[in-house]
Amino acid sequence: MSILTDLRIAAVGDIHLGEDDRGRYRKKLEGIEDRADVLMVAGDLTRHGTMEEGQVVADELRGLPIPVVAVLGNHDYHSDLQYEIAGELRDAGVVVLDDDGTVIQCGDRKLGVVGGKGFGGGFAGKCASEFGEREIKNFVAHTRYIAESWKVALKEIVAEERVVLSHYSPIKETLEGEPPEIYPFLGSYLLAEAVDTAGADLILHGHAHKGSEKGMTPGGIRVRNVALPVLGRAYAVYCLDCEGGL
Amino acid sequence: MEAPQYVAARVQQAMAEDGRTHELGIRVDIRGDQLFLRGQVSGPGQRERLGQVAHEAAPELHLHNEIQVVEAGEPGEDEHLD
Repeated sequence: MSILTDLRIAAVGDIHLGEDDRGRYRKKLEGIEDRADVLMVAGDLTRHGTMEEGQVVADELRGLPIPVVAVLGNHDYHSDLQYEIAGELRDAGVVVLDDDGTVIQCGDRKLGVVGGKGFGGGFAGKCASEFGEREIKNFVAHTRYIAESWKVALKEIVAEERVVLSHYSPIKETLEGEPPEIYPFLGSYLLAEAVDTAGADLILHGHAHKGSEKGMTPGGIRVRNVALPVLGRAYAVYCLDCEGGL
Repeated sequence: MEAPQYVAARVQQAMAEDGRTHELGIRVDIRGDQLFLRGQVSGPGQRERLGQVAHEAAPELHLHNEIQVVEAGEPGEDEHLD
């Protein structure tokens, strides 16, 4: 299979743009259309989740020559303006996922993208459970609701390839480098379990700045931590071999 | 005298919660009256703001701002997932 017929996914997370970053990230996206068919942004687009920062991000991503799909991250929720920021991004032409899915037409192929912010809770054997105080139950139930939404969206989507876009991590492997004590705040195995059940070709996430780029779910789905500090470059490009699958 | 572990926790919390910074991944170490900040940020402005917030949270300590500024490089080689 030649490179030309592969589906090329550019991905980055945690760009954390502030008002003094206007124009800086856009420069790094020049020529992206020659390298990739779609850009996926894995949350934490802003620093504090203010409208001003949301506008900077929208302007940086506006009118790119390839489709852009994004999810928000915890930083984008900080000022309780997540819906307004998502609206600003949508006005700029960015598809913002919120525990749902979209289909992107890439040449003659349909790429399904499902995802959202995700949430924490920890990893099998060392995780929170829906037991005890209301606050703990709410915490775990939030992740469980998200995982269930992704599973349904993945099952319903009609596409040749399916990618999951998240902010929080579905596995521990891509957190390696972070202190193990904070893993429950960095992701949840419930996300991986849902995706393994419904099936996908690739999972992209951010959030863990000190983590590692590459990992795999227990079901064998490739996971990539695309947080900008992990990549050390403007974005990564992953090519899905459309004939062979994964 | 307050234990250095609590002072370090207070500095870390200030850097995470202060509206000027909201930076979660900075390591704080205290040795005697010396305060060390380590980690990576994307711009020099953020490094300076973190130093300021840390200093305000523990003004009695001598601050060493060892935070590194890391600029995102050019996109590198593609990875083929086959």
